[in-house]
Amino acid sequence: MTGTSLRTYLLTRIALVLPMVFILLTLVFLLMRVAPGNPIQASLGGHVPAAYVHQIEHRMGFDKPLLTQYGQYLWDILRGNFGSTITDNRPLSQIIKQNGAATLELTFFAMLVALVVGIIVGLLAGRHRDTPLDVSGRLFGIVMYATPPFFLGLIAQLVFGVWLGWLPISDQASPLTQALLKTHTNILFLDAIIDGNWTALWDVTKHLILPATTLGLITAGVFIRLIRVNVIRTLRDDYIEAARARGIVERRVVFHHAFKNALVPVITVVGLNLAILLGGAVLTETTFNWPGIGHELYVYLQNRDYTAVQGIIVVFALVVVAVSVLVDFINAYVDPRIRY
Amino acid sequence: MAKRRLRWLLAGSAVAAVTLTAALAATAYGSGKASSKIVIDGTTGTVVNIDPANEYDYDSFTVDLPIYQGLYGFPSGAKLKPVLAKGCTHTKNLKTWTCQLRHGVKFSNGDPMTSADVKYSFDRVQKIKGDQGIWTLLTYLKSTTTSGPYTVVFHLTNPDSVWPYILSTNAGYVVDKNTYPADKILANTDTTHLVGTGPYKLTKFTPGQQAVLTPNTHYWGPKPKNGGVIINYYSKSSTMKLDLQKGAIDMAFQTFTPTEIASLKKTKGVKVHSAPGVNIRYLVFNVKRPPFNNIHVRKAIAYLMPRAQIAGRVWHHTVSPLYSMVPKGLPGATQAYKKMYGAKPNLKKAKAEMKAAKVKKPLPITLWYTPTHYGDASADEYVEMQRALNASKLFKVTLKSAEWAQYSGALGKTYGAFQLGWFPDYPDADDYTVSFYQPKSFYNNQYANRQMNKLISKERAAPTTKKRLKYLRGMQTLAAKTLPTIPYWQGNMIAVGRSNVSGIPATLDATYYMRFWLISKS
Repeated sequence: MTGTSLRTYLLTRIALVLPMVFILLTLVFLLMRVAPGNPIQASLGGHVPAAYVHQIEHRMGFDKPLLTQYGQYLWDILRGNFGSTITDNRPLSQIIKQNGAATLELTFFAMLVALVVGIIVGLLAGRHRDTPLDVSGRLFGIVMYATPPFFLGLIAQLVFGVWLGWLPISDQASPLTQALLKTHTNILFLDAIIDGNWTALWDVTKHLILPATTLGLITAGVFIRLIRVNVIRTLRDDYIEAARARGIVERRVVFHHAFKNALVPVITVVGLNLAILLGGAVLTETTFNWPGIGHELYVYLQNRDYTAVQGIIVVFALVVVAVSVLVDFINAYVDPRIRY
Repeated sequence: MAKRRLRWLLAGSAVAAVTLTAALAATAYGSGKASSKIVIDGTTGTVVNIDPANEYDYDSFTVDLPIYQGLYGFPSGAKLKPVLAKGCTHTKNLKTWTCQLRHGVKFSNGDPMTSADVKYSFDRVQKIKGDQGIWTLLTYLKSTTTSGPYTVVFHLTNPDSVWPYILSTNAGYVVDKNTYPADKILANTDTTHLVGTGPYKLTKFTPGQQAVLTPNTHYWGPKPKNGGVIINYYSKSSTMKLDLQKGAIDMAFQTFTPTEIASLKKTKGVKVHSAPGVNIRYLVFNVKRPPFNNIHVRKAIAYLMPRAQIAGRVWHHTVSPLYSMVPKGLPGATQAYKKMYGAKPNLKKAKAEMKAAKVKKPLPITLWYTPTHYGDASADEYVEMQRALNASKLFKVTLKSAEWAQYSGALGKTYGAFQLGWFPDYPDADDYTVSFYQPKSFYNNQYANRQMNKLISKERAAPTTKKRLKYLRGMQTLAAKTLPTIPYWQGNMIAVGRSNVSGIPATLDATYYMRFWLISKS
């Protein structure tokens, strides 16, 4: 353990977030402006006279010098004002609230799938090293990690949705459920529980299975490999040898001592994987027509709505930064050796 | 220490997982299929604005059509009929139009509709001047006045023979003066205030997900043939296709790819309905930019245009070859380009034109297109064009594409020959001619023809439909001669329904209107 306290570590970590967020915001701003063409004209569909397009550009500040636009952009974000979309005048805050909730629902269940599959397969593969079980586990992990989410999604849709007909292949719920279910949190799973609408809950759960499993399995690929390596390493550690020497039964050595310690690095990887999960969510949501924030990003990109795209990317970036900080906190809390 | 903390963390996670599993298990019983007469429609469209004062795109229009009505409209078929008006009369100079309103019409919230609402609606569109530009359709409208509760008078700045058609657009949709703010667009989710006089009312709108329409109990006309409509929005047509095949949705309208349509035609349990539509695709020339400033070069291209190949190979016959900017099915449509350049490519005549053009052969030309706006099939379209032109050995074609944000700002200002598509503001030949052939048209192709301008003025001031159509035919012939554009396909209106859905063919006509109230489900 080094000399700094947990509090000092946390404060330093938070201080480091500021330049990171600043660089992120600047990159997003610059990249959106490097794109050729006129976003206002493109999003208006060509009906509006040129003079009126200029008026709109003026109103939105697109005709101001780049530095002024940048200052205004940072100021707006600082005030939590992400603006409204150009194409349908929807406040970004509404998109974050409504579609962000759907993404949260999907990523939560996907992470659950990833953890359950990753931990079970990783532990078994590590414990039974170089056996057919290990080889299968590793192969499964590599294949899952390498498969594009949309491809896995399409295969799942075809097999479980179309050929077997077991599960729905799109949306958060069936159209009728969506139309009739009262919205409380925009997380339909919770909304159905709040309303005590068990039919709706079953419908929502069925709709969750394919997208959450697709996204979860892809993330599980990383966990499998990591946990397997950690189990193998831990099983070689001196304290495991010592436990065995003390005559503790092998089962207890493996489950009680080795496995638990092998799981510590997973916390870090869970955080790091959030970025991958969100990236995968864009493709998974599009494939399954899941109305999350990634799906909206895809739709607004198609409609050339740069205000919306800029706002959504900023939100994505901020979420990833926030989660990575949170993971660092948890790591530092769990493992006192982690300090600056 | 670390172990103890990890233990707590793991214990917490385990409790959460167990709770969740228990919740899942508790709900694991059958849901039963909701039997209803509600028709569920799928679309890949995106709604921009539902409020008619800022609605100027087809996907938003499809939601508006069952909710709102104008004084005129197309309630069935492609013939313009009075809807909220009993009829309109005009002065000899076509500058003042007086309309008598239908009595007993109510909005879906129960408010009666009167001339005050009509005036309010038109004033509102002109005052708000929404970003989408629907107000540009009311450019000729000087003022709106009322004379009693059931008479409205429109005062125009110019003679306008197509004014009843303008009244049929959503620029002329009548809204309730008590619920719509005079100077602000209502949010799409504000279903309490988004009321109209149409057969349905909007009860729920979730952006990007669904629009829920329920029958309007105050509707003055015949009741819808279904118990309501849910429009389900998809980001990918492939997912919509699978849902349709599975029966998760009852029908789908807008838009499958040509290969998906071909596949659906072979699918059991679904039926593909198709009729000639009104969306068109055409090639525009900047008539002042070399080498397209040479009429013979343009004519040679017109002689070589591979319409049949584009319609067949690229679009699997989901589109039809088009020989005038006015699509077949609309009154006044001609086949001017067919008459002048033939139904099939004619190499001999193209060679003759190129000889007259006195240019080197093969002539290098660049054709521009934009797959980000008109779909991936655009690239195939232009490859077909390139193949046909290069095969003639008269041209050496370079294809270039640009992203729509860049493309829409460039058009005639930058490009010599480029792809565009058109969907009408109102289904009339006027919208397919005046929009393209008037000087300073939106695509900046620098076309200005005195004879054409005269025809446009005469058409707009024509006292009778017969005369108006005569001028519209004249415009099409002149355009084929002078070639500011070459039209090449007309899209079909395609809707796919499950076999238990009926009524779809009744709405497929040249208006391209999806009239949900005609569709039922058994």
